[in-house]
Amino acid sequence: MHRTCTLSLVLALFSAPTLARGQESASEIIDRVDRIMRGESSHGIATMDVVTENWDRSMTMEIWSLGTDYSLIRITAPNKEAGTATLKAVDDIWNYLPRVDRTIKIPASLMMGAWMGSHFTNDDLVKESRLIEDYDIEISFEGEREGVEVWEFVLTPKPEAAVVWGRITYEVRKDDLMPTWARYYDEDDTLVRTLTFSDYRVMGGRLVPAAMDLYPEDKPGERTSVRYSEIDFDIEIDEGFFSLRSLRSRR
Amino acid sequence: MASGPWWRIGWRNLGRNRRRTLITAAGLAFGYLAVVVLIGLMDGLTAEMIESGTGVLSGQLQVHDLEYRPERKIYDTIGGRDGTDVDRLVREIAADPVVEAAAPRVFAGGLVSSGESTVAGILMGVDPELEPRVSRLMSGMVRGRAPMAGTNEILIGSEMARQLEVDVGDEIILVAPAADGSMGNDLYTVSGVYQSGMAELDASYAVVPIGSLQILVALDPGRIHEIAASATDPWLAPEAADRLTASLSPLGLDVEVAPWTELRPEMLDYAQLADGWRFIVIFIVFAIAIFGVANTMLMATYERRRELAVMLALGTTPFSIVRSVLSEALALGILSLAFGAAITFPVMFWFHNAPPDLSWLYGDYTIFGALIRPRLRVEYHFAMALWTGVALLITALLASLYPAARAARVPPADTLSGL
Repeated sequence: MHRTCTLSLVLALFSAPTLARGQESASEIIDRVDRIMRGESSHGIATMDVVTENWDRSMTMEIWSLGTDYSLIRITAPNKEAGTATLKAVDDIWNYLPRVDRTIKIPASLMMGAWMGSHFTNDDLVKESRLIEDYDIEISFEGEREGVEVWEFVLTPKPEAAVVWGRITYEVRKDDLMPTWARYYDEDDTLVRTLTFSDYRVMGGRLVPAAMDLYPEDKPGERTSVRYSEIDFDIEIDEGFFSLRSLRSRR
Repeated sequence: MASGPWWRIGWRNLGRNRRRTLITAAGLAFGYLAVVVLIGLMDGLTAEMIESGTGVLSGQLQVHDLEYRPERKIYDTIGGRDGTDVDRLVREIAADPVVEAAAPRVFAGGLVSSGESTVAGILMGVDPELEPRVSRLMSGMVRGRAPMAGTNEILIGSEMARQLEVDVGDEIILVAPAADGSMGNDLYTVSGVYQSGMAELDASYAVVPIGSLQILVALDPGRIHEIAASATDPWLAPEAADRLTASLSPLGLDVEVAPWTELRPEMLDYAQLADGWRFIVIFIVFAIAIFGVANTMLMATYERRRELAVMLALGTTPFSIVRSVLSEALALGILSLAFGAAITFPVMFWFHNAPPDLSWLYGDYTIFGALIRPRLRVEYHFAMALWTGVALLITALLASLYPAARAARVPPADTLSGL
């Protein structure tokens, strides 16, 4: 009896720190990846191509971000949509519609709605930066895949987190911390969509994936692709920029 | 049975104790009344459900592109990408003898926003002239008026108006994903507020002129999602659908014509279940009545056992006794039926033409999303009234079998000697 107690204590002493470190480092890696991709603040220009069964379209947009809480996206082309803008401030999303010169706030119940007709949802804009807060992260694979040393992470939602995914798997290259893909599963553990990263290049002084492609599983042949043509990091910008006024006024 | 003296004996025996005969006949007559009125009420409820369930929004018939249901994608318009000659198609459908009126519709899902509030809504583009002849949504207005063709006016439900905190004359913004992938958005003025009584409808359906919705979601004027039609009698809708399927097929549009029985199968199931219940109602009511009649007949034959003994002693066969008792029962049944019909038909006529309103007792309620008014509405069903009459006569005869058998077995000598 005494012996088993001691034994389990010893086991606990040895195993607990290892577990804790594994957990911590997985989250740390994701956090570092996130920081590289985001910077303290950023300003970029990107084009978004949406391909669906029924139509294809391309939009050019200008994107500003500050920390994880604020971002502003303004469509600059095509003309029909130019000036349309989306402001994300903490948990809220507003859309500005230049045609009617009005701003509408997206209610919580509509967060799963498509953003600008793409395969991204409003929820993606709000939640993309929250992986570490909302998910328990573990390394599920570590080693070589197609000649590249990678980690594969499994993100499972924390019990209290209000998230839509049942599980996310995420692959990151070890040598430069560049993500290669993320797969999103629903609560029944069915693959819903895949996000791939590619075209890694140095922009704004850092190596970033310039291209992201989102493929919805239930609509084969459809995709949304985002390509950054330029991006700057750590620019001079403050919270005041991310206001409803600037959402409307800067055209 | 009706020939010979037995029929007369049976009939006259009814007069032996008139009060008892009257009470028994009244029991059967009220049983008849109960069955006919109950069945009428069940039919009335079914009719009310079908009329309300199909009349408020869906219509009794709908024409769609083959691909449209169940996903209801904005691209799947009648006639595909090229659309169709809407006016001509509406005329063709309205020409069917069962179809009262037909109206084109365009649907889109979108955001309805005012100030700080935004809700998801189903935008329904209608022809303001034709639509009121097909559905009651636009006539359920509590404030304002219907949107006018060629304007950016919108009719919204009372619950949506409450959520958006808007009223007649206020401005709201519609945002809807358009068929070309863009985000259609425009300003609309609330021209009216409707109340259908169905919460989910009042919260989500917004009605705009069909042309303005087509512009909002980038659909050509020839592209519509649905033609809804009202039928003169809901039960004739399925055959009208078959007829229209045949008559529209030369147009080569790949459309489906669906009657409400296909669009709302749960309502059809309910109607069929209610039909089945008719016979259960007949069974229950007459199963109760049968014991009352049996008791009366048993009494009537018991107090006549001396008379029966004399008849048997004089050479009447036991079978003739049975015939006389059954004749009496049949006569009682016919009397009851006449009495029953006399009290039933005025009640049916009254409930059918001026249904008593029970709204002081209950509010409106819904079955399968169909709004039901609390009224004692009955539907005539002559075949069922006939069947109920037959059931009444059978009840009277069945109830008399045992008393008749007992009467035929009265021992003449013992009975006459006073044992």
